[in-house]
Amino acid sequence: MPPHSIAAACPALALAVLTATALASAAPDVAETTLDNGLKVLVLEDHRSPVVSVQMWYRVGSRNELPGATGLAHFLEHMMFKGTPAHGKGEFSRLVEQNGGQDNAFTTQDVTSYYANLAADKIELALSLEADRMRNLLLEPKEIDSERQVVMEERRTRTEDDPDGLLSEEMNSLAFKAHPYRWPVIGWMEDIRRINPGELRAFYDAYYRPNNAILAVVGDVAAADVIARARRLFGSIPRGPEPPAVAAIEPPQIDERRVFVKKVGAQLPIVHVSWHVPNFQSEDAPALDLLSTILSEGRASRLYRKLTYERRLALSAGGDYSYFSLNPNLFWLYATPLPGQTPEALERALLGEIELVKNEPIPAEEIERAKNQIQASFVWRQDSVHSRAASLARFELLGSWRLAEKYLPAVLAVTAADLTRVARAHFPAERKNVAVLVPAESSPPATSPSPTTR
Amino acid sequence: MRRVFAMMPLLLIGTMPPAAVGAPLAHRETLPNGVRLLVAPRPAIPIVVVRAYVRAGSVFDSADAPGVANLTAELLTRGTAVRTGPELDRAIEFVGGGLEADAGRDGTSVTLAILRKDLDLGLDLLAEVLLRPTFPEDELRRKVAEIEAGLRRSEENPEIVGSRALARLLYPGHPYAQPVSGTVESVGKLTRAQVVEFHRARYRPDATVIAVVGDVTADEVRQSLGRRFSGWSAPPGLQPSVPMAPSSPPVVSERIARDLTQATVFLGRPGIRQDHPDYFALLVANYILGGGSASRLYTRVREDAGLAYYVGSSLAPGRYGASYTVSLQTRVDGVTEAVRLVKDQLARMGRGTLEERELELAKAYLIGSFPLRLDTSGKVAEMLTAIEEYGLGLDYPDHFKAQVAKVTRADVERVAAIYMDPATFSSVIVGK
Repeated sequence: MPPHSIAAACPALALAVLTATALASAAPDVAETTLDNGLKVLVLEDHRSPVVSVQMWYRVGSRNELPGATGLAHFLEHMMFKGTPAHGKGEFSRLVEQNGGQDNAFTTQDVTSYYANLAADKIELALSLEADRMRNLLLEPKEIDSERQVVMEERRTRTEDDPDGLLSEEMNSLAFKAHPYRWPVIGWMEDIRRINPGELRAFYDAYYRPNNAILAVVGDVAAADVIARARRLFGSIPRGPEPPAVAAIEPPQIDERRVFVKKVGAQLPIVHVSWHVPNFQSEDAPALDLLSTILSEGRASRLYRKLTYERRLALSAGGDYSYFSLNPNLFWLYATPLPGQTPEALERALLGEIELVKNEPIPAEEIERAKNQIQASFVWRQDSVHSRAASLARFELLGSWRLAEKYLPAVLAVTAADLTRVARAHFPAERKNVAVLVPAESSPPATSPSPTTR
Repeated sequence: MRRVFAMMPLLLIGTMPPAAVGAPLAHRETLPNGVRLLVAPRPAIPIVVVRAYVRAGSVFDSADAPGVANLTAELLTRGTAVRTGPELDRAIEFVGGGLEADAGRDGTSVTLAILRKDLDLGLDLLAEVLLRPTFPEDELRRKVAEIEAGLRRSEENPEIVGSRALARLLYPGHPYAQPVSGTVESVGKLTRAQVVEFHRARYRPDATVIAVVGDVTADEVRQSLGRRFSGWSAPPGLQPSVPMAPSSPPVVSERIARDLTQATVFLGRPGIRQDHPDYFALLVANYILGGGSASRLYTRVREDAGLAYYVGSSLAPGRYGASYTVSLQTRVDGVTEAVRLVKDQLARMGRGTLEERELELAKAYLIGSFPLRLDTSGKVAEMLTAIEEYGLGLDYPDHFKAQVAKVTRADVERVAAIYMDPATFSSVIVGK
């Protein structure tokens, strides 16, 4: 697996978002400490396998960028593998692999996360590499230029040549006017092309500080030992100035917004519909999370059962809600019509499901099923040390890993009346966003094999 | 309950004395009807994964009906003698579980993922979909339409388009040349009778492995699975034989025109299976060439030249053949240079360029990272069915480590000269 990936808030990640909530509600024995320089350290012992997951989450993502320099957070993530005075270019991954480990990183709208999963007795290596690159990146212009080409290739793969990626990007920039969720995590191509070493350095200095990071370690380790190592390896890194807060607040949407994207090479249309909704800070968030599950999780979910199975309108249909988003984000529905069905018919069907939720109470069986699905996903999340560490960090990002203990009871307490209420409150027909991808008229992409035997 | 299993000793074919022998990965038993059962308790978390693997992949599709194996698998969960498709969906999802069938080239797997407290229900459903599917006609029409639309949509994806084209080049005249899902031309013509017959002939206990991983004991699994599967008997006749894929197909270059900003490039040739004496040496050689982020391809093509976000190589062994592939995606004007770099690196691998530290890194990674291949219940279940199906032995972790440790510099250079000779690679380029 190549290092560096992007996890934007996009429909493709619906499942990941849902399962990411999962940490046992039964409070695990997390050892928690904050070093004097502000680094938050969370350790959970899990002795089932002789492995450990070491994860460093920085509180920085594309939401911390500015117009004209979008993609900085993600670009910097790539540069984090390009060397320090102590460890040359590529040395981080090489050392991890040499020690039987796997490492990678991802950037989202809210966070940049680095991880190494490896044999538990190699924990010193993983921690010392993270400590080194927290403040010592080289950021050499030559390496930046070479990596710039790689990031541009990544953007071509994920966005330019991927109809779903393209439409998700268009939806975000349609729905958001003022807030940085407006631009794609990978950044606009022209910004990637232009970003200079000084900007990368300034961004690194502003956000890669112990007081802006969470270290989560889960595995076959002793908590006290990990904390002692963290103190020794990170303790001397000075606290930085508090990073600037994201000031932008998305103004209320006043009318429907709509975009059509014509795409040569696309075989089938795609329809996305979204509404601005509150995040975890709102009392409505658990109901929105449950509603998203009722609509789109599994083959018994409403969208699959009705649009794909019963009415045979859709090849696929689903949805996404970003409970964990640091700022309010979107409640998202999407579908691809079966050949012969129109995007208009599919849009009507998606909106019909929303109207139904507003007007008719959801039967108890559907609510119970969705609650069971969310509850089970919490249990499954404990299966690997990697997912356990990610869950700790994800909740810590919202304020405290202990919020995991409150999440499940809050979801289980949601009633049918709550679901109707949040649907009415947050899905006004006149303030929706609609993005439609239409295959462009062009000569069919005829396969033209020109076999030439060498 | 009658005792249906004979406990078998677990230490199988130990071919060498490994430095440190770990416990076998699982308990192994064979039912009287031939079902092979593997149980790996992982008691700390109250979850269970059950993976049933049946030798019923697309390799058994007849030449005039590609897609039957896949359609059969897709329809297993769409209706049984006990429940309709929607009833099955509701039953499994009500307990937050999953039950998914997935056809591959060699076999079809049905995977149950369920909380421990709901295991009885889950096993009922698993047994139902494997043994008593009804393949309702209306469900079949629905699924055919979905598969057709999915095939059409996959034309948007240059990696799928390219890998299908490569399979056609590497496996001429062999079932591996056909996509598992069938083709746009074939799928619409498939009939219920073909599906019913495929299920009757191919879903047989003596072609089935069931791996159970999680919060269980071997004793309880013996009882609960025996109760549900002991009445299953094999139809008369032997399992069909499938020819091996051709060992040296003609070298062909193909270009597939697509209006994209990137080109997707595949270079491929026949590979080898796990039972080949060169297998572990090629694994090591592959890691050095294109396996990790310290690999030669990653370093030269991505890090130095900035030509690709993804570049890598892989060995894909199957039961009836294997491929060795390098793939990358690069901007349209980068193709020539990227292909030149890749071929140059392929050629260099067999020319005495190997550095000791590269060899040590590859071996250290392959050996040291083995536990990460077993760090979830799902991964353990997948490993167990593969070990059983490909006859790798339940001491495979030790065997794997010992074999990798033995690979020498001379081994790597010898296999690289054979399997990485650029003149033996066919190519597919999808792009402008």
